[in-house]
Amino acid sequence: MLRKRISWVIALLLVVSLLAAACSSKQTEPSATADPSSATSGSSSVQGGNLIVAIKDDPKTFNPIYAGDSMSLTLGNVLFAPLIRMNGDKKEFVLAESLTASDDLKTFTLKLREGLAWHDGQPLTADDVVFTFNSLLDEKQHSYFRGSFVFEGTPMQVTKVDESTVQFVLSAASAAFESSLVQIYPIPKHIFEGEADLEKSEKNYSPVGSGPFKFKEYRAGEYVIVERSDTYFSDKAKLDSITFRIAKDNSSAVLALQNGELNVLRIEPQNYNKVKESGKSEIALFPSGAVTTIVFNQNIDVMKKQEVRQAIVHALNKEELIQAGFTSTEFAEPASSIFSPGTLHLKTDLKSYEYDQNKAKELLKAAGAEGLKIRYAYFNASTPETNMALYLQQKLQEVGLQVELIPLDAAALNKKALNKDNTDYDMSFGGYNMGFEPDAYKVLYLGDAAYNFSHYKNAEFDQWWLQAAVETDEAKRAKLYEQIQDLSADEVTTYPIAYGKSILAVDKQFGGADEAGADAVTVFDDFTKIYKK
Amino acid sequence: MGNDAAREEKQLRKYLTRRLLQLIPMLLFISLVSFALIRLAPGDPVMSFVTPNMSPEDVERIRANMGLDQPLYQQYLYWLQNVVTGNFGYSLLNQRPVLDQIVERLPATIGLMGSSLALSLILGIGLGLISALYKNRWIDRVLSLLAYIGISLPGLWLAMILIYVFALKLNWLPSIGMRTIGVNSAWDVIKHGIMPCLVLSVGSIAVYMRYIRSSTISQLEEDYVQVQYAYGATKGKVLFRHVLRNVLLPVITILGLSLPEVITGAFIVESIFSWPGMGSLGINAVFGLDYPMIMGITMMSSFLLIVGNLLADALYGVVDPRIKAMR
Repeated sequence: MLRKRISWVIALLLVVSLLAAACSSKQTEPSATADPSSATSGSSSVQGGNLIVAIKDDPKTFNPIYAGDSMSLTLGNVLFAPLIRMNGDKKEFVLAESLTASDDLKTFTLKLREGLAWHDGQPLTADDVVFTFNSLLDEKQHSYFRGSFVFEGTPMQVTKVDESTVQFVLSAASAAFESSLVQIYPIPKHIFEGEADLEKSEKNYSPVGSGPFKFKEYRAGEYVIVERSDTYFSDKAKLDSITFRIAKDNSSAVLALQNGELNVLRIEPQNYNKVKESGKSEIALFPSGAVTTIVFNQNIDVMKKQEVRQAIVHALNKEELIQAGFTSTEFAEPASSIFSPGTLHLKTDLKSYEYDQNKAKELLKAAGAEGLKIRYAYFNASTPETNMALYLQQKLQEVGLQVELIPLDAAALNKKALNKDNTDYDMSFGGYNMGFEPDAYKVLYLGDAAYNFSHYKNAEFDQWWLQAAVETDEAKRAKLYEQIQDLSADEVTTYPIAYGKSILAVDKQFGGADEAGADAVTVFDDFTKIYKK
Repeated sequence: MGNDAAREEKQLRKYLTRRLLQLIPMLLFISLVSFALIRLAPGDPVMSFVTPNMSPEDVERIRANMGLDQPLYQQYLYWLQNVVTGNFGYSLLNQRPVLDQIVERLPATIGLMGSSLALSLILGIGLGLISALYKNRWIDRVLSLLAYIGISLPGLWLAMILIYVFALKLNWLPSIGMRTIGVNSAWDVIKHGIMPCLVLSVGSIAVYMRYIRSSTISQLEEDYVQVQYAYGATKGKVLFRHVLRNVLLPVITILGLSLPEVITGAFIVESIFSWPGMGSLGINAVFGLDYPMIMGITMMSSFLLIVGNLLADALYGVVDPRIKAMR
């Protein structure tokens, strides 16, 4: 029984931290921007070599239509080729050659490249694409991606026009349709046809893909090996193989990296200097796509007052706040927009609020909110949140506001945040990683959206979001998203604190990291560019 | 005589049957309590499968697909019914059968736990005896000091130091995993296993050593030892023929009692060294609120534990025939 008790305590601790992880990462869409600062050019590239990439855990699946965790997305990205990919902040056609939209943005025609093939030599055709979309639209198959292709409650229609052409018919216009195709990697019809439950299919564990590398071996808890595919339509990979090695513990993984047992590892800020000093790796710091914010719960009357929100942010020194949470602005860049860097139509010259305690006091006086008591909720297992909350408490006290800190475990915090009538606290932290498509952000900011934790409601603001989603004129669409960002900054509907950064260490024996594009989710956008020096 | 042996064998069989039958209600009870506890923990596994653009109906569909929409007691009965037929369900996280995953990872865990137990026993008993025989001499003092350090060392810290010294600085041992990629030899696996095994064992080596030392010292003062000496027995003969037998018996009890520690210890050690065993699978399951997997691993480790204790009890009979006769 002792064991039970011990493991139960461990279990409880882990459950709590897990939920935090789940909360902070599950809204992720793939493909953040890549802006690696590692420079490994100048040497001649050689064909061959094996690259060992650390992954935190076993991939949950090798079937890309079920990939939701970063490990599965990483493997999916080397084994399978997407229709369209984001490389940096540019869209790049991969399996697709073109995508043409009708004027009403309801019909889209996708043309595949010629001569595509699966790793087993079978041709990749429109049939596979249709099969893929029909599978993920099938409710019985439980794909994550279904929601992205259901418009006003009706799933889109997918039909084959000819061997290399597929037509999508939507029941409502969507300007973001092309962006939602980015996450789709077709799966082979000839392998999966007739499987009753694709998610549980044994065939997922001997994947036949279309990407630059093909599956070789998987040992649960140990590694996945992939090797160069010669059927890949585009530039063939320079490496012979990649081993994705499971390294669970951060600290021992850093030592393994220094020891050469790992070649590529995502590292935490606290290990940054250690890895840098070892001199064995090039380090790339790049935006992770994550945005950290302060959320004002506008179910509470006083938080509806613009002056109060503005006063609060005038009382904070953003740089100090970031230092409190992320140790240095090196690892998190001060944020201005609610959109992450790399998002389409990002506006950078927004109204900013300099650190000014007198201004804060004036605004509070004007709003009649002097001596206001604020209940601030944060996630108790997160060191950054705890440190930022303590900083906030002190700074707000200096302008006469009383802050009661409410540390909550992830499950409790999540439950309260998702409650649309939440009045249990006045302020909290927010965080999300929504990718490059601004339309994706509306689930966080529309008045009645499930994830609108600030409960800010403004009919005009909502209208802009909805209009932008169906706006065919790119300039007008850009204008709408700029208005949205302006209004959000002017009224401080939500206060963006920082844009997170990812740190990737790459063994100096390998080059091409720049061209491959470091990615916060899939390690690299394009592994074919990596070579052994 | 033959009659006696037959009776003894019959008795043993009866005893084992009874103990094995006791397993059933015990496991049933464990399953019930674990099931309830796991579900009482805060959190909703469905949430990690929800994306922002899912409708409430989609979310409910996911819940139903996971079988989490039924009343709790029905979920338990359903689970139990399946388990009886050998079906532990599918992991919520990766949709693979729970049993397959446990079975594929069991060898790594058993190997690690087994070698750790063996190492603890061999070193613990050996060093304990040396300590007792050289009581209060310098070697005893050094060993005692080491034992205190061993008991108080945090495993995580020790693991880091070991990796730093033996992998990074000396380059004698690999730091993570169970295999070098592309190498398929037993020696390679052993090399990977040395550090995890050591970290897992250090605490129990120290405990066994302290225990053996003190009980050997007290046994050596017993009258029967003096009598043996009086009859002209050598020191070695006294120690290995008589004293050791009395000292070892309680070690079996300690061994049985320390099994839970080894199992929970393995959970942590496996994670540090990325050892592909049941422990790291279990930690993931707990992190991901993977109910079927948590249940599967709980049942499997409970089973190992109970069988381990059963074996310990059976060992009593081997070490001391009087105990067998008493049953």
